[in-house]
Formats: sequence, structure tokens, C-alpha cells
Amino acid sequence: MMAAVGAPEVISQLESAAKVLMAPPSMVSTEQRQHAEHIFLSFRKSKSPFAVCKHILETSKVDYVLFQAATAIMEAVVREWILLEKSSIESLRTFLLTYVLQRPNLQKYVREQILLAVAVIVKRGSLDKSIDCKGIFHEVSQLISSGNPTVQTLACSILTALLSEFSSSSKTSNIGLSMEFHGSCKRLFQEDALRQIFMLTMEVLQEFSRRENLSAQMSSVFQRYLALANQSTHNVTLKPTESWREALLDTRVMDLFFTVHRKIREDSDMAQDSLQCLAQLASMHGPIFPDESARVSYLAHLVEGLLSMINGIEMEDSEAVGISNIISNLITNFPRSILTALPNELFSSFINCLTMLTCSFGRSAALEEVLDKDDMVYMEAYDKLLESWLTLLQDDEHFPRGCFVQPAVQVFNSYIQCHLAAPDGTRNLDRVTRLHGQLQRHQQQLLASPGPESVDRKVLDDLYEDIHWLILVTGYLLADDPQSETPLIPSEVMEYSINHSTEVDINTTLQILGSPGEKASSIPGCNRTDSVIRLLSAVLRTSEVESRATRASLTELLSPQMGKDIVWFLKRWAKTYLLVDEKLYSQISMPLSMAFGADTEGAQWIVGYLLEKVINNLSVWSSEPELANDTVELLVTLVERRERANIVIQCENWWNLAKQFASRSPPLNLLSSSVQRTLMKALVLGGFAHMDSDTKQQYWTEVLQPLQQRFLNVINQENFQQICQEEEVKREIIATLEALCGIAEATQIDNVAVLFNFLMDFLSNCIGLMEVYRNTPETVNLIIEVFVEVAHKQICYLGEFPSLCNQYYKLITFICEIFPEKIPQLPEELFKSLMFSLELGMTSMSSEVSQLCLEALTPLAEQCAKTQETDTPLFIATRHFLKLVFDMLVLQKHNTEMTVVAGEALYTLVCLHQVEYSELVESLLSSQRDAVIYQRLADAFNKLTASSTPPSMDRKQKVAFLKSLEEFVANVGGLLCVK
Amino acid sequence: MADPDTDFNSGDSGASATYPMQCSALRKNGYVILKGRPCKIVEMSTSKTGKHGHAKVHLVGIDIFTGKKNEDICPSTHNMDVPNVKRQDFQLLGITDGFLSLMKDNGDVKEDLRLPEGDLGKEIVTKFENGEDVLISVLSAMDEECPVAVKPMTK
Repeated sequence: MMAAVGAPEVISQLESAAKVLMAPPSMVSTEQRQHAEHIFLSFRKSKSPFAVCKHILETSKVDYVLFQAATAIMEAVVREWILLEKSSIESLRTFLLTYVLQRPNLQKYVREQILLAVAVIVKRGSLDKSIDCKGIFHEVSQLISSGNPTVQTLACSILTALLSEFSSSSKTSNIGLSMEFHGSCKRLFQEDALRQIFMLTMEVLQEFSRRENLSAQMSSVFQRYLALANQSTHNVTLKPTESWREALLDTRVMDLFFTVHRKIREDSDMAQDSLQCLAQLASMHGPIFPDESARVSYLAHLVEGLLSMINGIEMEDSEAVGISNIISNLITNFPRSILTALPNELFSSFINCLTMLTCSFGRSAALEEVLDKDDMVYMEAYDKLLESWLTLLQDDEHFPRGCFVQPAVQVFNSYIQCHLAAPDGTRNLDRVTRLHGQLQRHQQQLLASPGPESVDRKVLDDLYEDIHWLILVTGYLLADDPQSETPLIPSEVMEYSINHSTEVDINTTLQILGSPGEKASSIPGCNRTDSVIRLLSAVLRTSEVESRATRASLTELLSPQMGKDIVWFLKRWAKTYLLVDEKLYSQISMPLSMAFGADTEGAQWIVGYLLEKVINNLSVWSSEPELANDTVELLVTLVERRERANIVIQCENWWNLAKQFASRSPPLNLLSSSVQRTLMKALVLGGFAHMDSDTKQQYWTEVLQPLQQRFLNVINQENFQQICQEEEVKREIIATLEALCGIAEATQIDNVAVLFNFLMDFLSNCIGLMEVYRNTPETVNLIIEVFVEVAHKQICYLGEFPSLCNQYYKLITFICEIFPEKIPQLPEELFKSLMFSLELGMTSMSSEVSQLCLEALTPLAEQCAKTQETDTPLFIATRHFLKLVFDMLVLQKHNTEMTVVAGEALYTLVCLHQVEYSELVESLLSSQRDAVIYQRLADAFNKLTASSTPPSMDRKQKVAFLKSLEEFVANVGGLLCVK
Repeated sequence: MADPDTDFNSGDSGASATYPMQCSALRKNGYVILKGRPCKIVEMSTSKTGKHGHAKVHLVGIDIFTGKKNEDICPSTHNMDVPNVKRQDFQLLGITDGFLSLMKDNGDVKEDLRLPEGDLGKEIVTKFENGEDVLISVLSAMDEECPVAVKPMTK
């Protein structure tokens, strides 16, 4: 229709539409805006708009209209490609290029759009080989050699447009072509045109590097070039094919990039691009290298260039990350054998330079942290370099022996120094004594002038910061953090302790260990003690200073962060060292085994000490959630292994803790709910330690029974219905439910039967509670959470206990039947777990459980139908269940009882998801090869729903459906179950 | 006249209107008094002043009667007041002059609650005029009460 109108009319129509679109929002109405948009859209869709567009480009003065004309050409060329004469496409392309060349003052976005149209034409043409890329490269190369900067910039723009169009990434234009098309274009392009572009780029670079001023446009060209040079879009390293050998292995290429970087490094944007290019070169690998020696000499050249670059400049902040990337790529991508084949001197200069850079980045990173900068460039660069060190050190046996020792010590020391307060680099690590002294001084100060403002925290905070880092370093040094494996003492630590054991006096070592109240140096012979144990004792001493400060009411002055560090360390330590199992090691250090081994006084003493620490922390730090959390985690560590638990339950403190918690009084009831849960978990775990039956009886009487007793007392009161809303009652109920979650968390394979039986009584009562508290969503949620937690922790074992399993699923089904409306209101995680339990029960348990789960589905689907909301998680879940039930009924063998239950569920689900149901039927039918079977199936499906079309939640229809279903199953049952 | 404090504390069950709780023991979805108003806690997060500082708790609560948002930041060792919140269902007997007549458990009639404005009010009126038997859920705390939901009577 556009073609029918004369060009001038079109232009004026488009120009006024552009005016509307460009106008400020307050000036035009939404309708006007939509209308204007519509004009452009239909203009772009018009048939063969080429003549009109050319006319527009030549006459219109409105940039936006020019832009739209370029877009229209681009879209129409692709759309009408096969109808167009190749020669007219060619002339169109020439027209566009000439157009841009003749108008150096075009708006940038118009120019880019026109060039994009050119790129799209070239791309489309490359596929049927109708347009030769060489032509355009010839033109570009002429532009480059023109010597005119404006024209050269244009050449860059053309290359950029081509590169981004061919890169098959998100940058590819949306021109209605398939991903496959884009992919094959890219492959063709890489094989051929890319190298030409590279050569052209190098020409541009050579040209520009002779000049003083460089444009940003150009720098983005090589950035893009490198992105494209990657064979795969996901891989960020450079792995070119053999054909690139001549182009890339030429040392002048690398030199050129170093030269370019030197020229532009003060412009931070361009510097990032050029460093990125160098990083890519540093990642080069693959078939491009003909042999090892070529690789070695390439690397040598790279390292030389890098060293002379780093040594010759004062580094800018913006270069740190880029340079660390180059180093990291180089270390990751070149095999050890190549690195070691470097000339010795060059290699050691490289390592020295790396050491120097690492230390310097580390210091700058610490400074960034202090200044609280938003952009932590040095931190990022420092991390990169530290990672590179790790890569190097991981296989240090390939390198000359000991060549990394000095550098590693330097890097480590600088790391520590960066995190310790002034006086910098002090070797006196006895900061705990200083902390002690400082706290005492503060205490006196406080006594003299009460009031929190009078204390200057600066000195304290510096000390805390130092101790924080020292504890962290010690923790990481002494023990690993294994996720699921048995934690082992690192072999280096073990060896170190063994090697020095001859000079060690065991008794003094134990004395230091046992005296956290004393300064280590005050004990005679303290230098003849085991260093590994001394590290622990240093932390225990810190812990002791902390505990004493709390007893002196100085908690206000303490650092919760340090408290957290201490328990974090103790937990990590206890997992590995406490009751060290000699069977796990080929050799064991005497001091370690005598201090922490099974049946040693040391181990018993430490268990007692840690327990006391835990109890103290829980009462003093109830208000610090993270610290309290780490503290109970330490407690769990103490009891989760039977051997340790056996010692723990001999401590009187443990029993006191259990009694105190059961009484629900302060300070333990001030803890956050997650901490209380974990505490309950620990107490339950402790109950499975080895004790004689009387003791065990007594323990459970004190830990679990009060819970049950209190609960029953509350809910069995005659007037429970009336008082259930009273705060005290609600709190009692909530505390019980929280405790139940904690008990479920304590489930292990050997206690699941006992715990499940115990929980089962509560679970049945919980159903009644849901009825009572149906008004109080927070309570209902918590009840369901208990169920889900039980499912989550215990269901994997329940298969072994069929009767328990049945009971559990009975309750779940009951909840779904009685409170279907609560289910969609559950928090997401809970909801997912519940759905997962249902699916598991349906598919992987006994047929009885499977039936129960099917029964639960019907009310849930009905609930969905009632609310008519189609985007709820429950709605989506029911869609998934439709497929499950469908497959189950149609594809699996089952008994008739099941057919009825599954049929009811299926029917409700079908009502809810009619489209999906038809799709399921369709896809099943279409998979049938045998025409006879196909026909029988198709008939059966038609008959199945004949009496209930369209399906609705109507009882009569449902009954009819169930009846047809029986027949259906009889007819096709054997047909499909054969596989 | 009785001592105002005693008077304030004497709810119908004899429990006090509020009780103290350490900040750390508060929970999301629980209740707390913020700016003198009973609120349901919808957000609770901890922060600290400086790396070695003590925890502070940031609380966001919704006024259970007005729906207004209130916020507070306090040291986590602080004791906060928690309101005793009660939720009860009453059978709706009638609507007179914009007041609801509700039947208490003991058979007495409670007539001091205003018909709420907005959608809930409309829903109550419609249901009542259709002759449906409905229950009105009433939330009460700190001597204030307010209907919050209407639902069909079970059985």
C-alpha cells in the first residue's frame, strides 16, 4: 500500500510521525504515539521499499527517518532476497556505501545502521555465494590506504559492522533468519574472511601506530576482531586453526600490540581493549603451533614483551586487572613443560616480576578496602594473581626444586602484613596478650568513668582485625574443609610435626595446651613444644581472654567477628584433630596423637573446654545470630561423630545444657529459631552416644520427654480451643514445632526408626492443630514445615520402614484434603519440597503410598480450578502431575483399585489442563508406527472423553469418565505396556 | 478509678497487652510493636556497624490494623515489646447502623465493632443480604480490634 502513495507523501507522513515519537511524553497522547509507531512498523513491512528508501535517504533531513529507511532496506533485502536481481542488490550495497562515504557528518546511529544493512547484505550473500566478500574487502583496504583519518575511521566502522554481524552472538541482527543460518555464516566467515579482516586491522593499526592520536573506534575494532577469532563463542581462550599460523605467529603482530598499548595506555577504555587483546594472545593454544619449540619461542617473546612493558611503566589503576589477566592466561594455557623450557634467566625474571606485582597488588587491594572503594580493581587483580600462583604451585614438581620457596614466603608475608595493623610487619604475633592488656585498661577506664562513649575503640579494633586474620590464616593452614569426605590432617602439617617431634617435650606441650589462661611464653621450656599444638593453644588463649572479658561484663567491648572466628576455627580444628583416628594415617605425629588421640586426657579436657565455651557463648552472644549459629555448629561437630559424643555426654555441663533447654527459659530461649533448631539437633544426636540403658533412659527422659509432656499438657487441656490464641500457648506450640524440626534435622541412618516413631505421635496431633490454628497462617506454615522437614530428612530412609512410610503419607494426604487452600500459600521452598514428596510417593514407593498420593492430587487440582489462577506454582505443578498420572495410567501396569484413584485424579487434572491433555494424546498417537494400533488407540481415546466433552468438574461427567476409563484400560492396556 | 496501668494490663483473659522479647528471638511473620503500633514483621535483617561492631536488627512491620508500614533499627540485645495478638471467629447475626452484631462463644452478643470500609465491608454486606451464614474473623491487640476476614460457617 505504501508503494501506491508517492514518495513525497510518504516522507512527510514519516517525518511527522517521527516528530510525534521524538516529542516529550507530556506533549503527545499514548494513542498518538502508538499511531506513529504503527506508521513506521507498516512502512518497514512494505513491499519493495527500495526506491522510496533511496529517495528518503537522499532528501530527508530527519535523522530518525533516515534510520528507519536504513532499517527498512535491511529487512526488505532479506525478506525479498530470492526475488531480487543480484545486480540490483549489488548496486544497492554500492549506493549505501557511497552514501555514507559522501556524508561524513551523518549522525553516528544513522551511519551505523546503514553499515549494518551493508553487513547484512554481505552476510546473506555469502551463503549463496552471490556476493563476494573480496569486493568489499578491496574497497575497505582502499579506504584504509587513503591516508584520510575520517575515511579510515569509516573503514573501521565497516569492519566493526561485519564482525558484529557475523559473530553469531547476541549482537546479530534480528532479521528473521534461523540460528542455523547464523551459525553456518559464521563458519564460512571464519574460514575465509576473518583472516582478511585481521590483516586489514593490522594495516590500520600499523597506520595508526605511526600517528600520535588514535581513535576509540579503531580500538573497538580489534576488540571485536579478537572476540570473533575465537572458534567457539563459549570459550574465551584463543585457539585458532593452522591457517592462522603465518598471520599470528609473526612476532611483529605481538610487538605491534605492545606498541599500541604503550601509546594508548593513558586512555583507560582503550587500554582495557588493548590489554584484552594481549590477554587473548597470551591464551593462544592449539594447532596453530607447529611444534613445541615454536610454542616456547612464542612464549619467550610474549614474556619478554610483558616484562619490558611492566618494568618500563608506572602502572595505572586501570591496567591492573588487564595485566593480571595476561599473566593468568599465560600460566593457565601454557603447559609446565613449555614454561620450564624458557631460558633460565627469563623464567626467574618472570617469577620475580610476578612476586613483585602480587605483593604490590596486595598492598593496593588492602588500601582499597580501607578506603571502602566501590570499584575494587586491585582486589580483583590480586585474586587473579593469587589464583595463578595456586596453578603454578599445584604442580611445582615440574619446576626446579625450591624455586618457588622464596617468592611464596614473600607473597605469604605480604598477605599477612596487609591485614595486620601498624606497626607494619611486626614479627611479634602475640597480639592476644596486647588485647588482654588493652581490655584490662579499658575496664579500669570504665570503672573510673562509666559510660560507653568514653572508650576509644580504635586500638581495640586494630587488634581485633589482626587477630581476625591470624585466626583465619591459622585455620586454613591447619585443616581443610572437606565437604563430605572424612577430614584428614594435611600431610604437610603432619610431616612438620613428626620432623620436629624429637626436639619436643610432650609434657610441656600438654601443659601449654591445658593453660589457656597463661601466656605461653610464661611457661618454662615453651620453645621445646610442638608448633601445631601451640597454634591451637594460641587460639584457645584468645578464646579464654574473650570468655574472661564476658565474665567481667566487658561483652560490649568485644568483637563478635572475633568470637565468630574463634568458634569457626575450633569447629574446623575439632573435625580434623579431635580424637584423631590413627588408622587413617600411614604415619602419625606422637605429640598430636598423645594430645588429641582417643582415650587421652587431652582430648577429654578439650571436649570439656569446648563445651564450656559453647555454653558461655550461647548465653552471652544470643543476640549475635551468626556467632550463635557458628557456636551451635561447633556443638553439632562435637556430637555428630559417635566417638566424640561418647566423651561429650560424660560432661555434667552437657546434661545441664539439655535440662536448661528443655525448660525453655533464658538465656537459651532468647536464641533465634534457627539456632534453637540446631541446638535441638545437637541434643538429639548426643542421645545416640554410647551409654548404659539406664543412662540412656534418663537422657531421653530429660531431653525428649519434656517436649512431649509439655505439648500434650497444652493441647489436652479442656479449654484448649478457647485459650489457643493466648500468647503463652501460642509460644509454647511454636517452640514445640521448632524443636520438632530440629529433631528431624538430627536424622541419621541408624536413628531414623526411633526418631520417626517419636515424631509420628506429634505429627498426628499436628493435624488437629492445623484445624485449631487455621486462622493463624504463621502457625499453619510452621506445621507444614515440620512435615516437609521430616520428609526431607527421613523419606530417603522410609522405604525401609513401610509402615512408617504409609503413616506419613496418610498425614500428607489428609492435609491436602482438609486444607487444600493452605498449600498454594506456602513459602516457595516448602511448597517445592511438598510437591517433591508427593511425586516421590507416587512413583517410587509402594502401591498403597502411590494411591494415597493420587488421592491428594484431586483436592489440589480442585483448589486450582476454584481460584482460576493460571500462573500459580500449584497450577504449574498440577500440569506436571497430569503427565505423571497420564503415563502411569496409560503406559504402566497397575491394579484396578489404582485405576479408580488415578482416574479420579486424572479427570480433575484434565479439566484443568485440557490443552496439555490433548497434546499428550497427540504425541502418544504420533509415536505409533503400526496403523492398526494407531487406529485402536485413537478410537479408544475418543471414546474415553466422549461422554465428558468438554470436561468439567461435574460429578455426573466424572462418573461417566471413570466408567469409560475402565473400558479404555481394558482395551488398550496390553497395547502399550509391552515395552 | 482504677490505676491506669492495671487497667491497661487487664485484657479479658488476664494476660498483659504486651510482653518483652529480646530482638534476636523475634521472628519473621511474628508480631512486634513499632512506633507504638502492633505490627506483623514482614522483614528482618541484621547488620553491624563496622567489621567488629555488634549486630543491629532492622525490622520492617505492617501495622496489623491500618496496614501502614513501620520500620526500626535497634541493637539486637534490645528488648522489644511484643503485642498479644488474638484472632477469633464470631458468627455474624446482623448489621445495624454500620455496626456488626456478633455472637460470642458464651452466647453473648457483641455489638461494638464497626462494619469495615472497603471491599471486606461490601463482601460482608453482600453475603449477609444473601442469607449466607458467615463467620467474621476479628483480630485484637492492645485494646484495639478489627474485623479482618469473612468466611462461610463450617457445618
